[in-house]
Amino acid sequence: MWEGIFRTGLWPDFLFPSPLGVFSNIMEGFGDHSFIIAIGASMKRVVLGYSISLVVGLSLGLVIVASRFLDETLSPLLLGLQTLPSICWLPLAILWFGIGEDSIIFVVAVGSVFSISMATLGGVKNVPPIYLRVARTMGARGLKAYTSVVIPAALPTIITGMKQGWSFAWRALMAGELLSPKDGLGYILTLGRDLHDMNQVVGVMIIIVIIGLIIDKFVFGRVECSIRQRWGLNRA
Amino acid sequence: MLKLKGAGKIFSTQNGNTKALENVNLTVARGEFLSLVGPSGCGKTTVLNIIAGLEKTSSGKVYKEGREITGAGPDRIVMFQEPALFPWLKVIDNVEYGMKVAGLPKKERLERAMHYLKMVHLTRFAHYFIHELSGGMRQRVALSRALAMDSDILLMDEPFAALDSQTRSILHTELQQIWCATKKTVIFVTHNVEEAVLLADRVVVMAANPGRIKKEYRVRLARPREPEHAGLVRIVNQIMKELKEEVEKVARSEYDSGWTLQKSTFLLSPDSNVGGNI
Repeated sequence: MWEGIFRTGLWPDFLFPSPLGVFSNIMEGFGDHSFIIAIGASMKRVVLGYSISLVVGLSLGLVIVASRFLDETLSPLLLGLQTLPSICWLPLAILWFGIGEDSIIFVVAVGSVFSISMATLGGVKNVPPIYLRVARTMGARGLKAYTSVVIPAALPTIITGMKQGWSFAWRALMAGELLSPKDGLGYILTLGRDLHDMNQVVGVMIIIVIIGLIIDKFVFGRVECSIRQRWGLNRA
Repeated sequence: MLKLKGAGKIFSTQNGNTKALENVNLTVARGEFLSLVGPSGCGKTTVLNIIAGLEKTSSGKVYKEGREITGAGPDRIVMFQEPALFPWLKVIDNVEYGMKVAGLPKKERLERAMHYLKMVHLTRFAHYFIHELSGGMRQRVALSRALAMDSDILLMDEPFAALDSQTRSILHTELQQIWCATKKTVIFVTHNVEEAVLLADRVVVMAANPGRIKKEYRVRLARPREPEHAGLVRIVNQIMKELKEEVEKVARSEYDSGWTLQKSTFLLSPDSNVGGNI
């Protein structure tokens, strides 16, 4: 259908590319390794940024939930910041870190950190109180009760938050890379736009979607599925 | 020995204060099997939670072996109405949990866990996940988890209430056997009078508004007991009569005095002609 619309010639091909053109562009990109290099650069950034946000987000969530005062003061703030699109952090990042690697990683981290910490917060808050009572009568208190009961009980919610955080991170990365000085998928996308190479723009978009999907499905999907299996949540 | 001295409990809610317990005095001897029965809302679970240390008294004190109870601890294990097993652990790890917290070595933990799983006939399921078990099996795992802690006091809060009657009667037999074998102090909360009399040495009947102890019954029957035993049925009937008054009182207060329990009226079916057409 796509090819059919293209062939009607309603729009010039620098506005509406043909699927065959896009396909050959993707092949070409992989052929001369430019896509592979771009994907590599992007993955490096997203992994770095996402790891930072995991560490910060999880600890932020756990710290906030431990104190009623912090919970009441910081939770609304987190919620507010979560609604802020990650691209809004870009100007700030550029001022702080300059145009380059650091600011992209910062945007990625900041883009996913709030949803991870919110999920941690929610997960811990929703641990059934009966588990805590069991832990208490069994003699587990303080940190021990936390690590042996609270965190595992909150894990399914936390994983969901991590998954959501991943998609935020991936989106933030693309936004950040539009300003990238030299490489990455977002950079190729901008390059394609600058050169009016619509085949390349759409090709990169497709690659972005596919990579996002693959990681979502195969990394987080697997982890989530195995946890749900364990908990017996998969049965209807 | 366990001692409640003038224990009282007031719950403060948005709608004012509720007196859940007033001046409860109770002594439980070591190795005794005591049942607490009463209408709903009479505070029997509160008594149990206070002994467990999960709730604090508003007045009065609780002593165990002469020492005041201030918090929850592994010397008083609670078995709740729901199994409350951890779904992220396998059956065996659930049973081992308390021992792990106590810091027992792996080998001893495993041995003891298997021993108590054997008691409830679930060794075959040691490596199953919780969701793969039936409700009765889960409650048996919870029982073996509680027993594995080897505490001298076992507090049971309507542990079999959610089970079907067949499973429940199997567990009654198992619990009697286990109690005879381990000689633990058991405090068993239930609203089922038959269950209370079947299991306990002593049945304490509680009254509501405010929650207090009304009467005590000694059950001096040989074990293992059968629910059909005539002596048992007699005690059950006595307690039932006592309780009926209480239940009525609670219901009346809940329905704003506009409620009465009809007593001994003849239930006559309107189309019965009592042999009028002979």
